[in-house]
Amino acid sequence: MTYRQVVAYVRLRTLLALLGAVVLVLAGPPLLTTGSGADTGTRIPGLRFMVPNTPGGGYDITARTAARDAEDAGLTHGIEVFNLPGAGGTVGLSRLVSEHGNGKLAMSMGLGVVGAARSNHSPKTLADTTPIARLTEEQDVVVVAKDSPYRTIGELIKAWREDPGKLPVGGGSSPGGPDHLAPMLMAQAAGIAPKQVNYIPFDGGGELLASILGSKVAFGVSGVGEYLDQIRSGELRLLAVTGTERVPGLDAPTLQEAGYNVDFTNWRGIVAPPGLSDTERGKLVRLFEELHDSPQWRESMRKNGWSDAFLTGEEFGRFLAEQDRRVVSVLKELGL
Amino acid sequence: MDAFGDLLDGFGTALTPLSLLWAAIGVLLGTAIGVLPGIGPAMAVALLLPVTYGLDPTGAFIMFAGIYYGAMFGGSTTSILLNTPGESAAVVAAMEGHPMAKSGRGAQALAAAAIGHFTGGMIGTLLLVALAPAVADLAVGFGAPDYFAIMVLAFIAVTSVLGASRVRGLASLLIGLVIGLVGLDQMTGQQRLTFGSLQLADGIDVVIVAVGLFAIGEALWVAAHLRRTAAEAIPVGRPWLGRDDVRRTWKAWLRGPLIGFPFGAIPAGGAEIPTFLSYVTEKRLSKHRDDWGRGAIEGVAGPESAASAAGTLGSMLTLGLPTTAVAAVMLAAFQQYGLQPGPLLFEREPELVWGLIASLFVGMVLLLALNLPLAPLWAKLLRIPRQYLYAGILFFAAVGAYAVGGEVVDLVILLIIGLVGFGMRRYGLPVLPAVIGVILGPNAEQQLRRALQISDGSVSGLVNTPFAVAVYVIVALIVLWPLLRRVPVLRRRAG
Amino acid sequence: MSGTGTPAAAGRRSWLREHSELGVCVLLLAVGALTLFDALTMHVEITQRGPVGPRTMPIAVGAGLLAVAALLAVDVLRGGRGEAEGGEDVDLSEPADWRTVLLLAGVFLAAAALIEPLGFPAAGALLFWGAAYALGSRRFDRDPLIAAVLSLVTYVVFNDLLGVPLPGGPLMGVL
Repeated sequence: MTYRQVVAYVRLRTLLALLGAVVLVLAGPPLLTTGSGADTGTRIPGLRFMVPNTPGGGYDITARTAARDAEDAGLTHGIEVFNLPGAGGTVGLSRLVSEHGNGKLAMSMGLGVVGAARSNHSPKTLADTTPIARLTEEQDVVVVAKDSPYRTIGELIKAWREDPGKLPVGGGSSPGGPDHLAPMLMAQAAGIAPKQVNYIPFDGGGELLASILGSKVAFGVSGVGEYLDQIRSGELRLLAVTGTERVPGLDAPTLQEAGYNVDFTNWRGIVAPPGLSDTERGKLVRLFEELHDSPQWRESMRKNGWSDAFLTGEEFGRFLAEQDRRVVSVLKELGL
Repeated sequence: MDAFGDLLDGFGTALTPLSLLWAAIGVLLGTAIGVLPGIGPAMAVALLLPVTYGLDPTGAFIMFAGIYYGAMFGGSTTSILLNTPGESAAVVAAMEGHPMAKSGRGAQALAAAAIGHFTGGMIGTLLLVALAPAVADLAVGFGAPDYFAIMVLAFIAVTSVLGASRVRGLASLLIGLVIGLVGLDQMTGQQRLTFGSLQLADGIDVVIVAVGLFAIGEALWVAAHLRRTAAEAIPVGRPWLGRDDVRRTWKAWLRGPLIGFPFGAIPAGGAEIPTFLSYVTEKRLSKHRDDWGRGAIEGVAGPESAASAAGTLGSMLTLGLPTTAVAAVMLAAFQQYGLQPGPLLFEREPELVWGLIASLFVGMVLLLALNLPLAPLWAKLLRIPRQYLYAGILFFAAVGAYAVGGEVVDLVILLIIGLVGFGMRRYGLPVLPAVIGVILGPNAEQQLRRALQISDGSVSGLVNTPFAVAVYVIVALIVLWPLLRRVPVLRRRAG
Repeated sequence: MSGTGTPAAAGRRSWLREHSELGVCVLLLAVGALTLFDALTMHVEITQRGPVGPRTMPIAVGAGLLAVAALLAVDVLRGGRGEAEGGEDVDLSEPADWRTVLLLAGVFLAAAALIEPLGFPAAGALLFWGAAYALGSRRFDRDPLIAAVLSLVTYVVFNDLLGVPLPGGPLMGVL
């Protein structure tokens, strides 16, 4: 080969390498990704669920369970679940709102996201999203250690009224979250200014549990599902539940029965990005309606101890707005 | 000795061929995924949850045990070989492990880590079996004042890693503390140093800080001073631990669990602080002080052993208390199967619980058996040419930072921290104190304020437990010791 | 930095180069001041129990930074030097090669900016190739292919096998 030929050969190889690389990185992903399937009935090819908190958290379990059950029930397949944690769900919420018109995305959320959006002063709120469905709800419980001096909710609240500062309350969520709202509503009903409440946030129900068991806090407020076992084994004494109805199998009054006008339940649901067409919105709603009717979902609810709270579309939207108002009023009193 | 009888039954469950197969698959999958950047053990277990859906609960949990240990070891592998820790408990492993790898002792560092995980996990799990009920009681009595006292002790210990120049070490520690401040205040939800950005509201993850300071910082530093002479490939060296290595490490392996296990048992212990405390202890006790910073094998063995011992699932099984992120994911997995971990689990599902505990042992044996022979192979990774090696480190560091949240901002933060790391190398500021500041700062602040809030603002709330008082006495002795030694009477006696 | 200018200016310049570590002091001072400013302008309306609130820690850390900046400045002026870190691949006898560092940082930023529009495989490949180029690799017929394959494999492992979504690029949904 002459020198010229060598140069031409080297040029050609470089050109081919570059070309090959460009083809690989641009054409590779669509060819290798399986997102196919007919777009009929409840099937939404390429549907993704966003989880606005970390793996293992409540929204994560809800989303992953819903995705699996929808596939098992043959409603759709290949739902991709991914986590985008941050600021109590606000980071995920902002991302969702920015995906304007994306009918293949839905986010699992709940009361905690409503509170976090407000307490973090997020520019995007749930009013910016398309409500799809409320799925489950769970009451909060008021619990004390088994050797606590407080035997009834009446005794506890009497002592609490006398000196709110001396009775620290533990909750599994940061200020603005569900376990924070519940004791604040309780305090309001008992005639204690929420600002006086000595609320101590813990990293979830697990860390809180140790502090209740060790009587580090006077009482704890958290979801009923977290502590069922400890209540049944007698490690924790259940004083009251925060909803309007008693929890089957648990021997404790509601706060309303005890004379305090509190109606608090934590709930979880699904919202979608804004700007969806009616067809796209209808499709997502129908997917969750059929999921709700499936035996797989019913079985999952039973296993996880969730209560059914199914509500869709417009009604869920009104419910969201009402919850938002309530959160705002409590936070305002706290000066947050 | 009832517990050991139950454990034997557990082995009956865990040692069936099918269970062994699940455990082996788990270890391999866990290691494979654990070495991916940005994916720590918790994420690995969460991602692999669907793989286990088809199995019965016992099989699934046995597989989890394998995935868990595999992922933990995988995280240390990248930490040692590429200076890019995949999770916070593996950060310390990079400190001595990476210099070892670069001087051709990668295989030994990996072996020391693998055996460390093995001994730590073994001893931790044995202690769990023997002490579970007693530990559960103690753990519950542990409160914010006690945690804070330990944090004070840890801060005192930091002084021993400040390096030759105290003022530069302190500067590094303070940089770490500032990074740790970024985000929402945990107690009141106030924004601190976030400048209104939601992405910063959760603070900057320790892993991003560590990867930025270690991996990116070093890649940039090396780029600025790359030897232009043809660099020799890093030698792989002998694949096995020499007699000298074993002599140096066996005590470290055994001391690790002593530090790690108590942290695994208490509710908010976690695995980062024990790894760091083990590192400091080994450094203090080492006879080879000159090796530190250049690849002291004890500095890999001790912390890895402590991490594994802290990662036992003791308090989750006995109390339903998840002490680590992995335990929280496992808790979620339990609930998927309709099982509620807690005081009743041992009575209600003895076969499953003891099967799980037995499979923790089996998982560790498999981990050692599968990964020890692979260590030399992993270490060969470093033989690839420098340009590709550092390009690869940058690439994987970016993947890790981006994959977790899918936020471009994280990449920018990573680069900024990398530039800080570059500057620190240029001006001789040690990197480790900064990472420790990020870990300890927020923890210490939270426990301090929680303790004060529980006592309704009274400072006596910090010293109202015997444990806390005892720790402060130790702290006082450490601080005053140099002074006491000057007292003539004591000096004569010591002499 | 050739020898133009008066001897006095040259002397000042070499003094500054000798004492460039003072720049670290300035940075520490700036970060400390920023931390203090952020803490002091924070609105704390919540009832605080005890002496420690959300501002205490930032104020302590900010003040600490100011103090350390001053101590470090004193140390540097007295002739103290932070020792630059050595290492296997590091040659400290040569002056720092700023071009490579800037090139690497630029490549990294470019990749970060391109990840959303071009997708992860393209941006990742660019990052790897660009970094290898900056570090001195000139195999144009091989490097792009290595980078593309590495990036694509990583994409497939994360996106398809593990279910961690990464952006696929402009052709997603077209092909």
